[in-house]
Amino acid sequence: MHRRILYGLTYLAATLSLAHHIDHVIRHNAVGWPLTGEVNAFTMSLIIYPIIITGLLLYRAGRVGPGFWALVSGGGAVFVSLVHFGPTAVEPPAMMLHGYDSPIVGWLAFTLLVTFVTVLAVTSLYETRLWWQQHQERRTLKPAAGAEGKP
Amino acid sequence: MTAATPPAMQPSGNAANEVEAASVVLEGAPLPVATRIGLWVGVQLVVAGLMIASGAVPAGQALNAAAGWWIVYAGVVDLGTLGVIIWLIRRQGHGISYRGLLGPPAALWQVGLGALGVLAATVPAVVFSTEVTKAFYGDATLPMFAMVDVPVWASVFAVLVVPVLTELAEPVAYLGGLLPWLERRIGRSWLAAAAVVVIWAAEHAFAPFLTADGGLDLVFAGYRVVSVLPFLAVWTALYYAFGRRLLPIMVARWVFNGGTALAVALNLV
Repeated sequence: MHRRILYGLTYLAATLSLAHHIDHVIRHNAVGWPLTGEVNAFTMSLIIYPIIITGLLLYRAGRVGPGFWALVSGGGAVFVSLVHFGPTAVEPPAMMLHGYDSPIVGWLAFTLLVTFVTVLAVTSLYETRLWWQQHQERRTLKPAAGAEGKP
Repeated sequence: MTAATPPAMQPSGNAANEVEAASVVLEGAPLPVATRIGLWVGVQLVVAGLMIASGAVPAGQALNAAAGWWIVYAGVVDLGTLGVIIWLIRRQGHGISYRGLLGPPAALWQVGLGALGVLAATVPAVVFSTEVTKAFYGDATLPMFAMVDVPVWASVFAVLVVPVLTELAEPVAYLGGLLPWLERRIGRSWLAAAAVVVIWAAEHAFAPFLTADGGLDLVFAGYRVVSVLPFLAVWTALYYAFGRRLLPIMVARWVFNGGTALAVALNLV
């Protein structure tokens, strides 16, 4: 059940990430390498796809658990928030809202971004709770297993 | 706590327990929600009527003048909601309690940490709401805050008492009551959650309602619904993410709403 939800949330976040990158490409503002010669936040953010693919393979093999995904989605939420929101934002909401000729499309792009960050944040909290549960279960099982081994 | 109750913030752990957590269903759960909407409209009309009767304001301005007290009479709405919830719990009898509607238990530090998580996850909703506000009203103060004109005692009540009452009533009515009730009837959690978010947002159209150009200010009502939608969606998603635990959401909302009430009372917005 939890595994299925975790996969679902990961695919949802990856889809929203891809949609946001496509939005950047269409607007053609705040883009970097490989579309321009500049290496910027856009370029760095592309690293998320190899991380997701590697993470999915490792998760399937049982090498990483919810803690890994909590870090990836939580880190993603912080990174995207810093780039887009707040006083140090390099691409504030106005750039998206006014990035298209049609204001409706600008609002759709902005809504997509807000949904994306929200999904990352909620996913990170869900995975943190799963990680904590597993951590507690392991702690509960360890002494019990030790007690069974005693004469 | 029964033997079947999972320990603090943990092994709810398997699917069976998650379903069990949702099986606490308040019969008649739509009633507290209907009560809230009815009270928002009813109390404002009564206050407006009293203002007209006392000759304090002309009839044409009474609704907006009454709306100036909305941060105070919100307490009446919440008390009424709480009363209906408690009445429904007593009527249903065994197997349900107010605490049971708040979900499985969690330790104090887990509630605190969860509340911080809720506040962090609410940041995108704040950004979205800010942009929506700019689109509707530019840099002007929101009408619902600009029109607040109450004496000091009422401001103190609005800051110290109303936010607590709101948390005891509003999220319990929607997430603790209506959502599990709809889930049981519809059979699909995502659909029930979507319906709750829409109904919850719609309530805000009446909190308060304003008049403009001789009629109801539908632009303001629309703004209210759109601007709160992302907040309600986030909190509903977190209700599931936290294994149906309401307390972290209630604490975070109390900080958020209490802070807003304080800012309004101090004329900082």
